[in-house]
Amino acid sequence: MSELSRRSFLQGAAALGLAGPGTAIGLRGARPEESQQRSLVFVFLRGGADFLNMVIPLDDDFYALKRPGIGISPDEIVPLDSHWGLHPALGALAPLYAAEEFLPIVNAGSPHRTRSHFDAQDFMCFGAPGMRTVHDGWLNRYLEATRGAQQEEFRAVGMQRLLPTSLRGSYPVLAVPDAFIDKRSKEVLGLFDEFYGADGMEDEREGDGSMEGEREDGGDVDVVESGRVTIETLRRYREIVSRPDPAAVDYPRSSFAGALQNLARVIRAGEGLEVAGIDLNGWDHHANQGASGGVHARLQRDLAHSLVAFRRHLGEAFERTLIVVVTEFGRTVLENGSGGTDHGHGGGIFLLGGGLRGGKVHGDWVGLRSERLYQGRDLPVTTDFRDVFATVLAEHLDFKAPKGFFPDYRPKKLRLFS
Amino acid sequence: MLRRLLPLALLMAAAPGPLRAQSGAAPLTDRERAVHLLSRFSCGVRAVDVERLLEIGADAWLDEQLAPGPLRPVELARRLEKLSSLRMSPQEVEELTYLELPIDATRADRIARDQRRQIPKRELLLSLALRSVESERQLEEVLCDFWRNHFNVSYTKGWPAHLWINDYERTVVRGHALGSFADMLWASAHHPAMLHYLDNALSRRPPSSAELKKIELRVREETGSKERGEEAAAIAAQRGLNENYARELLELHTLGVDRTYRQKDVVAVASALTGWGIADGEGGDLGFAFDPGRHIDEDQRFLGHVLRRDRGEGPGQGERVLEIIARHPDTAEFVATKLVRYFVDDRPPPGLVKEVARTFQKREGDIPAMVRTIVESEEFWRREHYQAKFKTPREFLDSALRVTRAEVETADAYHVALRSMGQPTYHCDDPTGWYDTADAWLDPGVLAKRWEVALQLAAGGLEGIRIPDSFYGGLEDGDSPLNWMQAMVREVLPGGASTRTLAMLHEVVREHGREGEAPDVRELGPRVLGLLLGSPEFQRQ
Repeated sequence: MSELSRRSFLQGAAALGLAGPGTAIGLRGARPEESQQRSLVFVFLRGGADFLNMVIPLDDDFYALKRPGIGISPDEIVPLDSHWGLHPALGALAPLYAAEEFLPIVNAGSPHRTRSHFDAQDFMCFGAPGMRTVHDGWLNRYLEATRGAQQEEFRAVGMQRLLPTSLRGSYPVLAVPDAFIDKRSKEVLGLFDEFYGADGMEDEREGDGSMEGEREDGGDVDVVESGRVTIETLRRYREIVSRPDPAAVDYPRSSFAGALQNLARVIRAGEGLEVAGIDLNGWDHHANQGASGGVHARLQRDLAHSLVAFRRHLGEAFERTLIVVVTEFGRTVLENGSGGTDHGHGGGIFLLGGGLRGGKVHGDWVGLRSERLYQGRDLPVTTDFRDVFATVLAEHLDFKAPKGFFPDYRPKKLRLFS
Repeated sequence: MLRRLLPLALLMAAAPGPLRAQSGAAPLTDRERAVHLLSRFSCGVRAVDVERLLEIGADAWLDEQLAPGPLRPVELARRLEKLSSLRMSPQEVEELTYLELPIDATRADRIARDQRRQIPKRELLLSLALRSVESERQLEEVLCDFWRNHFNVSYTKGWPAHLWINDYERTVVRGHALGSFADMLWASAHHPAMLHYLDNALSRRPPSSAELKKIELRVREETGSKERGEEAAAIAAQRGLNENYARELLELHTLGVDRTYRQKDVVAVASALTGWGIADGEGGDLGFAFDPGRHIDEDQRFLGHVLRRDRGEGPGQGERVLEIIARHPDTAEFVATKLVRYFVDDRPPPGLVKEVARTFQKREGDIPAMVRTIVESEEFWRREHYQAKFKTPREFLDSALRVTRAEVETADAYHVALRSMGQPTYHCDDPTGWYDTADAWLDPGVLAKRWEVALQLAAGGLEGIRIPDSFYGGLEDGDSPLNWMQAMVREVLPGGASTRTLAMLHEVVREHGREGEAPDVRELGPRVLGLLLGSPEFQRQ
C-alpha cells in the first residue's frame, strides 16, 4: 500500500468508522491495547431450531413419549451432567462444556406469541418483540451508541452478502459479498477503483476540482463515496484474511465454517473488531427431520464442528471473544405426523467464549408435561432473550444499555459471567 | 495522471451531454428533461428514446404511455403468447403443475415434481424481464413494479403460493396499474394470493367452548389418549382471529402506520374479514370464497363507523371496510408519499405530496391522474432531483438489459442475479415489499456484487441472456478509438458521463490497442460495456 493510497483508505475508513487517523494500519500492526478488544459474534439459526433435540433432558420420561420417532435414544445422547446431554451431532461441544467455555440456556427466547418466522426473527434482531416501528438491529444500536469521534477501528462486519438484520441501521457496517476472497473479486475491485476514486489519487484531484468528479445534481445519494468505501474496506478485509496464517486449523467444508474462518483471521488481526453477524439457514423442519442422523443432525454437526474449529483457530483470542447463538423460536414438543416438528415458542441460546460461568446448563426447566408447556404444546420462555443480550453487552462489551435501548423493556441482569 | 495524457478538448468532445451539472439552480436542458422523464418512467434510458422524446415532446409521450395501445413490438406479444401459464386461472395452474408422487417416490420423482411446480414461476419471471427490456409500454412496467411492491405477495410464503401469483400479477397488479387505486385494493383483498400470503384464509371465529369440547372428545376417542385430546383442544383454541392481513391492510396498503387507527380498529377489521378465504376444498376453484361458518357475525366499530352485521350472508362487512379506507384522506396522503418518493426523490417534497394527495381525492384514486400531477408539477423538474435516485438492484439489471437490447431466452440467470444482489421479484418475505430508497440498498459492500453482475452480463456470463452483435455493430466502422468509445457511452449513458469515468474508459481503450489502430471490438466491447454498467453514473436514475 502506498502512502497515498493508505491515506485515502483512512479517509474512507474514518467515514465508515473503521480506522482512526492515529493508527498506521498495515504497517506497524495494532496497538497493544487494541489487540485486547473484545469481540461479539452473533449467530442466528434461521427457521426456528428444534432446541429440544439439541440440549436434551436425561431424566424426563415425557421426552421419549412425545418424540417416539425423532427422539434420541439415551445411549446416543452425549451426557453433560446427570440431567442434561447433547445431541450426538453436537458432541464436539462437550469438551468445551467441561472447560466451562460453553453455556447453554434452556427455555430461552422471545415472550412474543408470534409463530411467524419473519416477525419472530425481526423482533429478536431488533431487540423489540411485537414492536413494528423499530427497524434497527440491536447490534447496530450498540455501534451507534458507542460511536466515537474518530477512534474507531474495524468495528463491525456482516459475514454475508446482505447485512444480518441485527447489524442493520444507521451505523454503516460492511457486508462481505459471497465468495469475495477469490482472485476474480480482486480484479473486480481493481477494475472499478479508479471509477470510484479509490485509486489513491485523492490529493491530485482536489487540485483541479473544476474539472473533476461528481456531478452536482443527484441530491445526497453518494454512489461514488459508497463505492469507494466498498472498495477500500473490502480490500482491507481481503488484506487481513489473506495474510499468511500461522495459526491455521482445519475447518469443516461449509459456508458457515468458511465465514468463521475468515472472521477468526479478522479477530486475530487485532484491528478492533467488536461485533460480527452470521446467519445460518435451514432450521425449519416440518417433516423428516431425523433423529441422531438426518437433516437436523447434519445442521448441528456443521454448527458444532465449525465452532470448535473457530475456537481452536482463535487460540488465546477466544478468551476475549463471545459467541451468541440464537434462533427465533423453538419447535413443538410433540413430533408431528410427518416426522417433523412445527413452529413452537421457547427455544434456547448458546453462549461460547471466555469468562463465562460455564459448565452448567442455565435457565429454568419446567419439564415436558403438557400442563407446564406454553399453550399446552411448546416449551415456555423462562429467560427473555433481551436479558441475555443486555447481560452480554454489559459484561462482555462493558456497555450498559441505557433506558429504551430495548424499547419498553428493562432487562434483568443474569449471572452468566464469572 | 490520466488527465494530463488526455487533452481537455478531447474529453469535452467525448462527453455526449453537458459535462457536468451547471449551477444548482439552473433549469434542466431539454435533453436532460428527456433523460429525467425516461429515467423515472421507463425501465432504462435508451439513446433512441431520448431522441424520440425530444421530437414528440413530453406531453405526447406521456399521453401515449398512460393510454397505451396493444402491446408492442409484436414479437414481444408473440413471445408472451407462448408462455401459456401467464393467462391461466389458479385451477389451470394446479392442473398444469400437479404431479402425483408414487408411494415409493425416488429423488428423481421429487425433482421432476418440483420442476413441474416451477413452470408458472419461470414463465412469469421471464415475461417480466422481456417486458422490461422490450415493451413499448414502459410506464406500465414501472407502475407494475411500484404496485407489485405496494401490494406485496411472495413465493417465499411457500407452497402453494405458486398457484396464485401468475393470476395475481395479471388481474391485480397489471389489471389495475393504469386504473384506480380503489379497484386494485379491492382486487388484492379478494385475491387468494393475498389471503394466503397474509394468512387471512386462516382467520376465523374462534371455536366456542362447546366446539372445543367436541374436538377433545373426538380426538380422545380416536387416539385413546386423554392427553392427546386435551392437546388437540388446546391447539384448536388458538385457531381463531388472525390479525396479520387486517394490520397490513391498514398499515401498508392504505392508511399508513401510527396514524388514525388503533389496535381495536385492527381487531374490528380482522373480525369483519373473517370468512374471507379460498375455495380450496372439494370442488373448489381455488378462487375467493366467503365462508359464513368462519365469519364473526357481529357489528363492528371502525374509525367511528358502525359496520352492521350481515347475518352471515356474504363478505359485505369487509367490503365496507375497503370502501372506507380506499377514500380515506390518510390513504391519499400515504399513497401520494410513496409515489412521490418512488418517482421523484427519496425525500419526497411535501408540497408535491400534497398536490398528488389532492388528485387522489378529487379523482378517486385514479393512478394516471396522479402520474400526471407529478410530471406536470414544477417540482418534478428541479435539478436537485435529476439523477438523484439510486437504482434498486432490479432497476439496475433491467436498465442494463434495456440499454444493451439484451436478448433474454430464459429468466433463470436473471433471477439468480437479482437474488445475488438481494432483490428477486415476487420473493420479498416482508409485506412491505422491496424498498426503493437508497438507504435500503447502499450498504458498504453491496456495490461489489453489482459490479460482478455488470461484468458478467457484458462478458456473456449470464446464461440465457445475450447482448446481440448489433449492439456493438454500430461501433465497428473502424473509427478512431475515441469516437468508438464515445458512441458506446452515448448508448449506455445518454445523460452523459463524468470526466473521471471518461478518462478511465479512455485509458482502457488506449491500453488495449496501439495508437492509431482500430480496437478489436469483440474483445474490447464487452470490457468497456462492463465498466460502463458498473460506473457510478449508471447506478443512478
